[in-house]
Amino acid sequence: MNIIGESLGTFLARQTVQAATPLIMAGLGELLAEVTGVINIGIEGLMLMGCIAGYAAAGISGSGGVGLGAAILVGMGTAAVFAGVTVWAAADQIVAGAAVNILAVGASGLAWFFYQNAREAAHRSVSLGRHVGFQSEAIPGLSRIPFFGPMLFDQYMLFYAAIILAVLIWLLLHHTRTGAILRALGDAPEACQAAGISVRTWRTGAVLFAGACAGAAGAYLSIMRTHAFASDMTGGQGFVVLSLVIFGRWTIPGLIAGCLLFGGINSLQQTLQTTRYTSHSTLMHALQYIPFEFFQMLPYVVALLALATLSRSSPGPRYLGQAWRQ
Amino acid sequence: MLSIENVSKAFGGVQALNNVSLAVAPGSVQGILGENGAGKTTLMNILFGLIRPDRGQIRLNGQAVVVRSPRVAQRLGIGMVHQHFKLSPALSVTDNLALAVGRNFVLLHRAAFRDRIAALARSLHWAVDPDSVVGQLNVGQQQRVEIIKALLGGGKILILDEPTAVLTPQEVDELIPAVRSLARTGITVIFISHKLSEVNRMCDRIAVLRRGELVFAGPMGELSAEDIAQRMLGAPSALSSLGASSASPGLVRLHLSRVCCTLPGTRKYKPLLNNIELSVRAGEIVGIAGVEGNGQTTLIDVIMGSLPISSGVITLDGSDLSHLANFRRARQFACIPEDRQGQGLVLSLSLTANLMLRSYRNPEFTRLGLRHVTAWRAQATKLVRSFDIRCAGVEVPIQFLSGGNQQKALIARELYGNPPVILAINPTRGLDIGATAFVLQQLTAARQRGAAVLLIHSDLDELLAISDRVMVMYAGQLLPTKWPVVDRAAIGRMMMGITPQAA
Repeated sequence: MNIIGESLGTFLARQTVQAATPLIMAGLGELLAEVTGVINIGIEGLMLMGCIAGYAAAGISGSGGVGLGAAILVGMGTAAVFAGVTVWAAADQIVAGAAVNILAVGASGLAWFFYQNAREAAHRSVSLGRHVGFQSEAIPGLSRIPFFGPMLFDQYMLFYAAIILAVLIWLLLHHTRTGAILRALGDAPEACQAAGISVRTWRTGAVLFAGACAGAAGAYLSIMRTHAFASDMTGGQGFVVLSLVIFGRWTIPGLIAGCLLFGGINSLQQTLQTTRYTSHSTLMHALQYIPFEFFQMLPYVVALLALATLSRSSPGPRYLGQAWRQ
Repeated sequence: MLSIENVSKAFGGVQALNNVSLAVAPGSVQGILGENGAGKTTLMNILFGLIRPDRGQIRLNGQAVVVRSPRVAQRLGIGMVHQHFKLSPALSVTDNLALAVGRNFVLLHRAAFRDRIAALARSLHWAVDPDSVVGQLNVGQQQRVEIIKALLGGGKILILDEPTAVLTPQEVDELIPAVRSLARTGITVIFISHKLSEVNRMCDRIAVLRRGELVFAGPMGELSAEDIAQRMLGAPSALSSLGASSASPGLVRLHLSRVCCTLPGTRKYKPLLNNIELSVRAGEIVGIAGVEGNGQTTLIDVIMGSLPISSGVITLDGSDLSHLANFRRARQFACIPEDRQGQGLVLSLSLTANLMLRSYRNPEFTRLGLRHVTAWRAQATKLVRSFDIRCAGVEVPIQFLSGGNQQKALIARELYGNPPVILAINPTRGLDIGATAFVLQQLTAARQRGAAVLLIHSDLDELLAISDRVMVMYAGQLLPTKWPVVDRAAIGRMMMGITPQAA
């Protein structure tokens, strides 16, 4: 069958990568922070802050690029609060991360309220203009390759950025002294301190980087893949990122594989939800009687099962979640 | 030439160092001997820039230097290998060294680093693989990585802070020529220890500290071992006065039969404990020697019920223990755990509370179901006096006591009320000679009272001094020995897994 001229397989592959992109982007930052020993379960909140900041800044300035920049800055700013509380004041990272999530729900809702009011007062549209925000960008030539072309080379610019970032971080972690320091920060912070490396400063840097990544991932949701904001629009994707970092055993290839798996199942369930009404096959017809919430649940069930079976043998960084007092 | 001139340092009212002067020649191995608290560590911390002296100065090649921080020390060529290694177990040797002594952040120059490490290791005749992951090296090898780290950082003067405390006898035997070969390349080594025999084998010159004062400095061999010990202690050594019991042991108290333990969910790994046969009778000390990590901690854990056994039977006085949860077993045994600060004591609680942790439920210590404050204080005071625990008061949090006094408190609590079965693992770790002798005396006294004692200890000399029977733990197996018929060296070989049948 065909959807808008593409085969179902090509369509699904492209959707999979689209769904995986924000997870990869936020996951790279979270992975780096966790490698240095800081777990930020507030990633969901950081993404949400990125969503609203990106949307509002793009709406006001009329530029998608400004929106993305604002999302990154707001992500870092929110992460800076988290870093101050956990890395410098040595508060519990899980509690502080939960607080960031709750804070973000309120702060993003408030910002959305003010944005709507300001736009209406100025007699401007609340929704983004036609050309504000990003469109997918096909790379000439490469995007014409059957199947892989649309999947890998007809994506939003954040996907290309995420892949370049993934390669750079991998090189950094495994082939530079900085990488040795980053890995040692989560494994033996005392070794870093003995080498004259400030554990707190470095961890703060990693947390800020994770905030920037999460902010960008949030902007992807509100000004790239869709051009809309809705309260709580991240819908738990930040928590999925947390589990995917564990699923990937703190490795970048593992993380990306997990993101693609999750994105794939998510796209599949969305496609099933719509095609079951248009298809003529008996199986698809039968699926109509299943409530759509069941399909929405599927990716999370798969994520839980994968975590339960795979994460056992992987302890992660030794000092993950532990404050460094010195 | 490194010279320390008239250095003094006081902490609070305590004079940690009093007018100490010492000159160390380049390329020599200088031993610094002294009991815990004699001032060895303070002196070294001053050299390494961790502490500033109140008075006195340090000269390097005739020039006065101010060692403001470890950074400055490193720049001056002073390196220190701490007892607790500052290495990242997840990283390779190369990455660890790059982390510590590298300069740039972007390029690792792994190949160049690997070559430098390999060249240095070769010149010292050490087998160090730059690509191996540090967490997979044994303690002796990790120590060498630490030494290489200090040398690669430009170290010309190397301070080794009780390097043998973490090593097996065989690893100590390997460290000694390794340090000698360092000295031959012109490196000055300062070796801190409270073990006379090691200093004797390693050093050119020794300095003896006692209560912050330098009581002897001179070439090795000028004083006899007894003289040195006497100067360190101010009293003759007590280890020799201990001995195996003459009394014949009584009934079997603790018995392990065909006990196996496999970590849950890891069937593919070899078992932690493999077919353990062990019995401990009343009135005897059964010693278990072994290199750490061969299952000793697991053995205590399965007896105490912290880990489940996968097969076999553990009985106490003939009755099966397997149905008893570990908090119930804790009442059956006195246990001196390996990690006294983590498992044995609650550091933030007072000395009194720590002393009462086992017996707080006894009727004599409760009133209306609440704690009987005066009875607690009286009991704590009694134990403090009879076990000679030095403290500023019984209500002081136990974390402010020295390591030796913490251990005395732990032993006072566990041995109070004459427990019939005592489990002890490395009970003298980190203690000075006086406190060590005290702990060993308490164990032999408990045996005299008819207690069954299982002593797991990594210090072979102490183990052999007081055990009636000795077994060796290797790779989760318990191997019997014919001690005292066989010699120490044979047991040492068994600990390394060499010719287990020969002993």
